[in-house]
Amino acid sequence: MVERGRLSLRNLNVYYGRNQVLKNINLDIPKNSLTVIIGPSGCGKTTLLKCFNRLLDEIEEARVEGQVIVDDQNIYDPGVEVTLIRKKMGLLSQRPQVLPMSIYDNVAFGPRLLGQKDKSYLNPLVEKYLRLAGLWEEVKNRLNEPANRLSIGQQQRLCLARGLAVEPEIILGDEPTSALDPQSSRNVEAHLLSLKTNYTIVLVTHILRQAKRLADYVAFLYLGELIEFGPASEVLVSPRDPRTRAYITGEIS
Amino acid sequence: MKKEKVRRLISASAMLFPLLLTVAILTSLVLKALPIISLKSLPTLIFSSAWQPQKGHFGLWPFILGTLWVTITAFILAAPVAIFTSIYLAEYAPGKLKKILAPGLDLLAGLPSVIYGLWGILLIVPFISKYLAPLFSSYGSGYSILAAGIVLAVMILPTIINISVEVLNSVPTELKEAALALGATKFEVIYYVAMKKARPGLIAACALGLSRAFGETIAVMMVVGNVPEVPHTLFSPAYPLPALLANNYGEMLSIPGYDSILNFAALLLLLIVLIFSLMSRLYLNRLKRRS
Amino acid sequence: MDTAWEKAKFKRPKRKIIDSLFRLAAFSSAVLVVVILTLILMTILIRSLPALKLSMIIRTPGTGYYLGHEGGILNAIVGSLELISGATLIAFIIALPGVIYLNTYLKKNSPFSEAVRFSLDVLWGIPSIVYGVFGFLLMLAWHLRASLLAGMVTVALVELPILSRAMDETIRMVPSEIKEAAYSLGASRWQTAIRVILRQAFPGIITAVLIALGRGLGDAASVLFTAGYTDRLTTSLFQPVATLPLAIFFQLNSPYPEVQQRAYASAAILTFLILLISLVIRFFSRKLSRHKIK
Repeated sequence: MVERGRLSLRNLNVYYGRNQVLKNINLDIPKNSLTVIIGPSGCGKTTLLKCFNRLLDEIEEARVEGQVIVDDQNIYDPGVEVTLIRKKMGLLSQRPQVLPMSIYDNVAFGPRLLGQKDKSYLNPLVEKYLRLAGLWEEVKNRLNEPANRLSIGQQQRLCLARGLAVEPEIILGDEPTSALDPQSSRNVEAHLLSLKTNYTIVLVTHILRQAKRLADYVAFLYLGELIEFGPASEVLVSPRDPRTRAYITGEIS
Repeated sequence: MKKEKVRRLISASAMLFPLLLTVAILTSLVLKALPIISLKSLPTLIFSSAWQPQKGHFGLWPFILGTLWVTITAFILAAPVAIFTSIYLAEYAPGKLKKILAPGLDLLAGLPSVIYGLWGILLIVPFISKYLAPLFSSYGSGYSILAAGIVLAVMILPTIINISVEVLNSVPTELKEAALALGATKFEVIYYVAMKKARPGLIAACALGLSRAFGETIAVMMVVGNVPEVPHTLFSPAYPLPALLANNYGEMLSIPGYDSILNFAALLLLLIVLIFSLMSRLYLNRLKRRS
Repeated sequence: MDTAWEKAKFKRPKRKIIDSLFRLAAFSSAVLVVVILTLILMTILIRSLPALKLSMIIRTPGTGYYLGHEGGILNAIVGSLELISGATLIAFIIALPGVIYLNTYLKKNSPFSEAVRFSLDVLWGIPSIVYGVFGFLLMLAWHLRASLLAGMVTVALVELPILSRAMDETIRMVPSEIKEAAYSLGASRWQTAIRVILRQAFPGIITAVLIALGRGLGDAASVLFTAGYTDRLTTSLFQPVATLPLAIFFQLNSPYPEVQQRAYASAAILTFLILLISLVIRFFSRKLSRHKIK
């Protein structure tokens, strides 16, 4: 039995043209926990996240070496079906990206791609995941409205519901609260926390306090190198590396 | 302070110039067309296919049909190719290829219609008469609706492509990534997300191509045959309205009513353009209000 | 959960096939376009070579030129250049203040500016043959004959919407912060417009002018009844003037192969001029994007 929801990096190097943006990264992200990747801007956090679901494929000059192992399979192996890899991971981006269609269709988008057109199957599914993202009560009477009429905080929770609806094992978040007001941020954070018992969650953030609020594990990335990784209580409280300490105390940012 | 006022006055009138020009063109054509409209009824002028100016028969129907056939043929040929090409350029093509193709497309968008017409005469017309038409057991000179349609289609390709590529490029990468992250294939991302988001722009690009095809004169009249008969097939020659004007305007003084009917033809062209612009404006406004 | 999963496995080949077919369709369309476009340029170039001599561009038509005797199309080259420089100047003089007024004095969505922009859209869509007709009517009203002046005015009208819309777009892109900064320094609207906005939008304005020049150069339908045609060089506004597109058109209608070949050569010359203009436009628009404040 393959253990689902595990994510490991082996000797991962990423280049943009001649620039090396990620340098020999080795990392095991524990399942059913919330791992936060911190580091100053430009350190390669977002690139790292994009390696996990092969969105880097879309960038012409990007080149990946090494292995990203999901469920005991290197996703960069030739012959791997990319769409199925991506289906295993939900993505929350910096600004919520609602698809140009109704609220309902946003959530049903993923299942429909997989060939599920049956309303009797889709209806409860949409409700289930909208509830899970805490949006159901707010939108249940206007499921057929265009999704871009929602407030930006609601949009981000809709993106969460949409990501959950493809039944992923892993949730990736690229500073998912950076465009939101404090109230909505808290709301999204609360839902992420409640989801971590069933999902492996990887968040990129540059807000240290957010890392402290959410993280079980913390990875500190600096200039493309993984400096430190460990339980949040260790990395954030008593970091071993001086660079981590400098970042946490606000000397480098 | 007084200087500022004068400047303001001058620039305000310059701003109003386009408005006044539109009105001026419209009124002068209406005034010039009135004699023939009052002489014959509007439906006769538009729907009669009898065109014998010497005998006083002024039915524009063959010309109107000619215009429609040619424009629609060109559009049907050009639109799918242009949209697919712009999808390739915006979503698939490697950066280097785009850099090579962009100046080429620019050049072709700027090429004068007489060049396209010349190309039609040299290549398309003989191709149709020698190879294509015989396949459908139709024998003729090759100067036909199809020839005009192909030449026009090629002419509007760069216009539609340039705008569509721009429109598709304006769809945020993050949005496409969001769809990819849900496990969508590239086709699904383009079809369900990018093209949906870009739809107003793509429609605008096609509308622009359509209106350019509609008013094109020289390239069309060089290859369309200019025979004032109701066309039956794509291989028939035709005589679109702009070609009618180009061939006869300015030399029509001796035949009574001729001058007025040609102005009426120009008025028809203008009105169609006006209605077309109004419709697309209304469509865009409706979209703007909805979002 | 497992039902969706099964279906995914079941549906996968079909989705992959559609994806590949779509990519193939897009790719082949692009190839088709490239082939057609190359074909056009190659056809013009190859067919024009036999007649492409220096005399084409340094001589006017001599006696018996249209029967295949000596001569060139200098008259049309010079005529076209005279015509489009005059026309573009007229169009520019009207378009620039209008566009400035639209963008500095009027509020962003005032009904006035909406109406003006809509009329520009309409003018933009009017076929140039209709401008030709309107120009001819103007000629009659002013008792002009087909001449350089009449042609200039007509082509100016064709170019006006192109020029105005292109300039409007670049000037509209000037960030409002820059305008506000200038106003707050006590600059009047006009000063702001001239010193700040125009400087910021300068490459865009040049591009707009070049686009208008290119359109004017290639337009034949509008000058068909207004500019006339002559085998001599035009030295006065009231003389008829030859233009390149019409030179091509007329030579092509000749029954003599030598003359037809000269039509191809003239087409190559016209294409070359358009190429030149489009290269300069590229140069300026690259500059434009370099200075753009993001």
